Amino acid sequence: MSRKDLGFRAIFDAPIILFALSLTGLIGALLEDGLWDGLGAALLGTPLLVLAWALIRRRR
Amino acid sequence: MRTRTIRAWSWVHKWSSLISTVFLLMLCITGLPLVFTHEIEEVLLHQQWEPARSDGSKLNLDQVLEVALSRHPGDVAAFMSFDEERPVVNVTSVDPKGPAGVYNFQPIDQTSGEAAPPVAGHPVMEFLLQLHTHMFLGLPGMLFLGAMGLFLIAALVSGVVLYAPFMRRLPFGTVRASKAARTRWLDYHNLLGAVTLAWVLVVGVTGVVNTLATPIIAFWKDTALKELTAAYDAPVAAGERASLDAAVKRAQAALPGMRLQFVAFPGSDYSTDHHYAVFFHGDTPLTMHMTTPALIDARTGDLAAVAPMPWYVKTLSLSQPLHFGDYGGLGLKILWALLDIAMIVILISGLYLWLAKRKKTS
Repeated sequence: MSRKDLGFRAIFDAPIILFALSLTGLIGALLEDGLWDGLGAALLGTPLLVLAWALIRRRR
Repeated sequence: MRTRTIRAWSWVHKWSSLISTVFLLMLCITGLPLVFTHEIEEVLLHQQWEPARSDGSKLNLDQVLEVALSRHPGDVAAFMSFDEERPVVNVTSVDPKGPAGVYNFQPIDQTSGEAAPPVAGHPVMEFLLQLHTHMFLGLPGMLFLGAMGLFLIAALVSGVVLYAPFMRRLPFGTVRASKAARTRWLDYHNLLGAVTLAWVLVVGVTGVVNTLATPIIAFWKDTALKELTAAYDAPVAAGERASLDAAVKRAQAALPGMRLQFVAFPGSDYSTDHHYAVFFHGDTPLTMHMTTPALIDARTGDLAAVAPMPWYVKTLSLSQPLHFGDYGGLGLKILWALLDIAMIVILISGLYLWLAKRKKTS
């Protein structure tokens, strides 16, 4: 293959962002009640939304 | 990355996964219903129940204890806990001559002393819980599963490292669905691993911490509570103990504004041989999971100490909700279940990729 390899950021940016969102949701819902229960679940749900997006839109 | 480096990390990923996969699969499969323990037991154990008296009169805790122990002659009290929604006191007792770890659990109507229907502890859920925590092997089983958790962490770290060379020519999220099964499943494996990493890591690490509960509590007793017991040689006989009801009231006075959670009796796992340990928790989301015991001298009924928990017990206390996923309502539990299923797919696809590679090279 002659294509150039992707750099660190191209490979890891998306997983790092998902990691940060999930972790914020996991801990946020533990530290605060009310609004944070919903927000925490929403943040922790982002990986699943991205997964659904990839399975539909990134199929080759 | 150099080929040799990649090979070394592949070796770590392969072996840490191979050793732990079958146990992690068992944990994921039993964990799935366990996430919904509360909801399932509400259905399985549902029973219409009213307290015998509604005039507000209640037995005191000494009377409840006496009633409970009279139903299991020879038992000694280990714990007493309190339902939040019913006037029910739960007494856990143990036969000191019986097999270790076998407890009698009795929910008792505090208005009458009669038995109340249980709202937790359905045999099926208990079976799953014991399989999940120690595979019916007690402490060695727990520590073994903790070791499997460490292998999981090694597999996650090596998986992250290997993600780079595998993904160096594929944009994030690519699934080569039209390629051979091995390629397709490699993409699923990498994608699922990349998006679920934070959750799997948190549940894995907190799971490992939870397997250390027994040594953590034993260490706490041996260090933090040790000086409280220095004055005494032999425990006071159960019949000569100070009033339990007064002890709990004394403890409540020492920790105003906190919520009573449970009492550990002298000689039980969570207390010394000489004290009632009366545990309280806070009512903010964070302090809800943090317990503070007041230790009441079982001879005199005096307050011996309020013992805020050291950092390692607090770590254990926070590891429990983060592992169980029971702190953010039903929405969070459903996510726990979906992520757990994703983890099952990662485990099975990993196993498949290893088998397919072996077949190809042989």
